[in-house]
Amino acid sequence: MTKRLLDALRWLVFAAAAFAMNFPVISTFVTSLKGEAEISASPSLWIQRPTFDNYRAIFAMQDRFDILHFLGNSLVASLLGSVFAILLAFPAAYGMVRNEVGRKWLLPLVVNLRAVPLIIFAIPIYLMYQNLALLDTRLGLALILCLVNVPLALVLFATAIAELPLEIEEAARVDGADTRRLLIHVVAPMSLNIIAATTVLAFIYSWNEFLFGLMLTTSRATPVSVGASFFFAASGGGVRWGVAAAVMILATLPPLLLGLTMYRWIGRSMTAGAVKG
Amino acid sequence: MTVSNFKRSLRREGYALIAPLTLFLLALLGFPLVVDIVYSVSRVGFENIRRPELSGFGNYAKAIADREFWSAAWFSLRFGLLASLLEVSLGLALAIFLAPLLGKRSWLMAILMLPMMVAPALVGLMYRLILHEFVGVAPYYLDLWFGDSPAFFSNDNAFKTLVVVESLQWTPFALLILHSAYAAISLDVREAAALDGAGAWRRLVYIDLPIMAPAIAVTFFIRFIDSFRVFDNVYTLVGAGAGGATTSMSIYIYQAFFKAGDIGLAVAASMLLLGGSFVILFAVNWAGARAARA
Repeated sequence: MTKRLLDALRWLVFAAAAFAMNFPVISTFVTSLKGEAEISASPSLWIQRPTFDNYRAIFAMQDRFDILHFLGNSLVASLLGSVFAILLAFPAAYGMVRNEVGRKWLLPLVVNLRAVPLIIFAIPIYLMYQNLALLDTRLGLALILCLVNVPLALVLFATAIAELPLEIEEAARVDGADTRRLLIHVVAPMSLNIIAATTVLAFIYSWNEFLFGLMLTTSRATPVSVGASFFFAASGGGVRWGVAAAVMILATLPPLLLGLTMYRWIGRSMTAGAVKG
Repeated sequence: MTVSNFKRSLRREGYALIAPLTLFLLALLGFPLVVDIVYSVSRVGFENIRRPELSGFGNYAKAIADREFWSAAWFSLRFGLLASLLEVSLGLALAIFLAPLLGKRSWLMAILMLPMMVAPALVGLMYRLILHEFVGVAPYYLDLWFGDSPAFFSNDNAFKTLVVVESLQWTPFALLILHSAYAAISLDVREAAALDGAGAWRRLVYIDLPIMAPAIAVTFFIRFIDSFRVFDNVYTLVGAGAGGATTSMSIYIYQAFFKAGDIGLAVAASMLLLGGSFVILFAVNWAGARAARA
């Protein structure tokens, strides 16, 4: 009897924790389905008259409030940033593990990079971008997102490659494969799981990046994490809370869905390096 | 091919493999670091951005004499410590209490991990709506139930509000690590202790917690480092509002550059922050090495 009571209590605590920690998204979602009049009349979590008006209103907005433009920027920059990070980190991880080059200095340097606030490099990067005409471009943003993701990708790949059986690679060498072909046709196919998990994680982190998006873009390449805040700037008739809420749900949906559906693959990678340090 | 030849070609090939990453890091970190160092000891503005005049340590002196610099450092330190302490305690309690539920059903864990998928900047914006005095759901219910709702962004409360916002989003991280650490404790150890007549509470204090201690420490440091450099949610939720009471180190540097246009001050503060990060990193690595030896 006490065991069942304890189990019930556990479910209760789980529900309370899940509700409290996910509250921002839940509450914002509720608001996004209310009309403007209802939002100011009753901010409660109950929706009297559900409506999709806010979502419809967003797509009618233009210029500084063009949500599709922001979403597109985020999509392109995040995809490029993730792919760049993987293309740089995968061969490097292989070289570190199998050729034992840079394992003593480059690996710890990059891993510890995660503990250094990147804002330290932000000002020179801004000035450099100004000179290279990379300010307010998706490519410029993607390069920074790559920088943000390289440490995680390197740790994940180095760990995964070290666990691969050497025999297969040796057999391929005997058959005359050079390193490039070995990487593409043998090592990468064996590492597909970790490459996929890293891509998803890197994409989520890129999508959610804010500081560099704020500093390095003004309009053409503004990512949605920054663009969403435009909807909070009271213009004319004040903030349209329903529209702002709907914008945030749209901006949050891609990483949220990825996280929910891919949890089994990325769950362990999210804390990688945390325990091994 | 002789052995030494083979080794040499292996190394050469290795360098070719790490070269792209190294060049990339040199361009986006190495070069900026050099610029940081040069500018921090120069008189520099947008008009002489390519020809900074060396001027000694004036920028550092200015930063160190700036009261706002120290209040930003103090904010980041307090914020980092308090938020990570809360996250680790809550995460630990949940990991242990919910272990029987979470062990068998990974989808429950997926739900608890969702907060980590949301951009901190967006979480800040969402709370702007939730805590808004007229249209916010939190003041509405607090008013309804208690007849009163606090001013979430007053000078006194802004800090607490931000710590709660940060902790609610990142407790899942602590929970995830500590859940695996708890699940990794072997059943034999627990059963042996139970046979010896140790109750659930004693087993927790004398067996589980000591075994989990390294994981707890690592979680705390990771979260501390992350919260210490906080920018996104603080910036979108209150900006440098609340009378500057919520200026973190990152926000201080951002404002010195973008609002005041004081490049020298901003890069000097950046270098001081880098120095501070090294001190913390060394302390963590040193403590880790000591723990590994013990």
